[in-house]
Amino acid sequence: MSGAAPHLVVRSISKRYGPTTVLDHIDLTIRRGELVTLLGPSGCGKTTLLRAIAGLAQPDSGKVELAGRDITHVPPHKRNVGVVFQSYALFPHLTVAGNVAFGLKVRGTARREINAAVERALSLVKLGHLAGRRISALSGGQQQRVALARAIAVEPDVLLFDEALSALDRKLREEMQVELRRLLQDVKATAIFVTHDQDEALTMSDRVAVMNKGRIEQLAEPRELYLRPASLFALNFVGLSTRISGTVLAADNGKVDVETKVGRLSALGNFQAGSPVIVAARPEQLRLGEQSEANSAAGRVRSVVFQGSRTLVEVDAGAGESLLAELSERDGAIPRVHDEIRLSWPVTETFAFPMEAQA
Amino acid sequence: MTEAALPAPVAAPAVDRERLTAIGFVLPSFVIIAGVFALPLVLLLGVSVIDANGLTFANYRRLLGTPYYLGVIWNSLRLGLLTTIIAFLISYPAAFALARAHGALRSVLLATLFLPLAASVIVKAFAWTILLRSDGIVNETLIALGIIEDPIRMIFTETALIVGAVNIFLPFMILPIYAIVAQLDPRYAEAASTLGASPIVTFFHVILPLTLPGIIAGVALVFSLSVSAYVVPTLLIGEKYPTLATTIAKAYLLAREPGFGAAAGVVLLGIAIAVVALSARLSREPK
Ligand SMILES: Nc1ncnc2c1ncn2[C@@H]1O[C@H](COP(=O)(O)OP(=O)(O)O)[C@@H](O)[C@H]1O
Ligand SMILES: [Mg+2]
Repeated sequence: MSGAAPHLVVRSISKRYGPTTVLDHIDLTIRRGELVTLLGPSGCGKTTLLRAIAGLAQPDSGKVELAGRDITHVPPHKRNVGVVFQSYALFPHLTVAGNVAFGLKVRGTARREINAAVERALSLVKLGHLAGRRISALSGGQQQRVALARAIAVEPDVLLFDEALSALDRKLREEMQVELRRLLQDVKATAIFVTHDQDEALTMSDRVAVMNKGRIEQLAEPRELYLRPASLFALNFVGLSTRISGTVLAADNGKVDVETKVGRLSALGNFQAGSPVIVAARPEQLRLGEQSEANSAAGRVRSVVFQGSRTLVEVDAGAGESLLAELSERDGAIPRVHDEIRLSWPVTETFAFPMEAQA
Repeated sequence: MTEAALPAPVAAPAVDRERLTAIGFVLPSFVIIAGVFALPLVLLLGVSVIDANGLTFANYRRLLGTPYYLGVIWNSLRLGLLTTIIAFLISYPAAFALARAHGALRSVLLATLFLPLAASVIVKAFAWTILLRSDGIVNETLIALGIIEDPIRMIFTETALIVGAVNIFLPFMILPIYAIVAQLDPRYAEAASTLGASPIVTFFHVILPLTLPGIIAGVALVFSLSVSAYVVPTLLIGEKYPTLATTIAKAYLLAREPGFGAAAGVVLLGIAIAVVALSARLSREPK
């Protein structure tokens, strides 16, 4: 199978629990070897989508195809889908090796093969020396690794991680993000991570699906997601931004002029004159002083937050609007609180979103 | 000099006080158990091996050497085993149903389990005799419906005994199993299924081992209760099914043979202790 061929295809899956629509016609196509993250706020349906793929929740409508096979009505134990649960769900009555061997044992694999596979999986997660341990005698980070080893030992067609790192403390979590990505790439696994942590999503994945209220708002590479958010929700959920509300004055071929309380601004977007919109830009696009052919606004510095390589400056632009700029010492002196300053940013990095889409 | 020696005397009383407190907490229960339980046990043991002429094992020889009394021991074991096995077969699925039930249904089901515990065993056993008598409700109903012509003999049969014992001791099997099942994380079964285990394999390799502590507790409770039951066999089957418990009562109350009664008591206790010890051993975590 070629690298670009669709490996996991979710076609228009919907799921309701009582009156709430938890999944609303979800489409998702993942290539073999791809690492994709479902990113979204709590309750947006990430876990439900994962469970539908694993066969643990039956969707009301739609289809799931895996490795060229329609698995919509296949029970979970015949899907060959690996799941790493948030709580790990390691079997407490089995040892570390017993847990990792479980999937192979129930498949009737020969003892010699099982032993070799367990050894391989445990050495991948660097836990070979703990094979005989009881689960209750492991730290949280070690349990996480055992859960991973148990899932990869059976060589599933796709690996699903439901907030699998969220129980770890921050430092360990950040180490695991990098290590897990490398490990999954090494074994050429196809994987879906679920998280509500944008940093985790950007670190771990080839593509990120931003979910909101049972829908995928945008599926894109991390860089594109940040630079070209498809919706106000995606813009808000990933990274920081300046957002100013206004009304479209004139529209011209993908560009709009917007009247706002901080002055007239130009932005990319297709709207009719008179539409209420939100104009947005990423903080690193904002520069001190004027630039030609650029948007600009003035105000009084409200706060200055030093963050190492960069400094976040929040400016009160009056009329309840504020500007957020990420400035660097290299580009000149950082203003101080209460300074009156003017900021400008390129029109090509300014986006307009429909107002009513605000969550 | 004095300064250097200070830390030690300060630390030592602290530790001693802790230990004293612990002893203080344990002491009352120790006194009660020693006085009410251990002492009578020692006396029981003593009575069973000492008679007017000194040390003797005659009581044990009679108990373990006569076919009649071996039959009595077997009756007790049989009552214990049958009651335990049947109670387990009913309780295990019932505990799952109870754990799956929600809201009012769960409260009602739990109440039907707990309320009978408030009634004395005598009352419940007697209620069974009323149901199963030749002119009891069951026979009257069957006759009225024309299913049978003459009353079926139900009371004073082994079936009546086992049915009654299972009914009376059932809560002691369901409750410990339910306590474990209610806490069982459904993720375990889900994890097993995603690893390729069919529902049956998941049951035997995951659910059953994880609920084993509840099963062991229930089995130990019901077996020790039913193997030593006195009221239930007395009321539901009577003379023709002598058990260790009824034999003990007879030895003390009718035959005036306290030595023999004590020996039977020691054997019964030995059986119960063996079962409890075995289950404690089984429920210990694997290494
Ligand atoms: N088994 C269920 N029964 C009823 N409602 C459910 C069930 N599972 C999930 N939900 C609801 O579906 C919504 C989405 O849940 P979930 O997929 O767990 O979200 P996420 O993982 O993104 O936090 C939530 O509102 C949740 O309450
Ligand atoms: Mg979730």
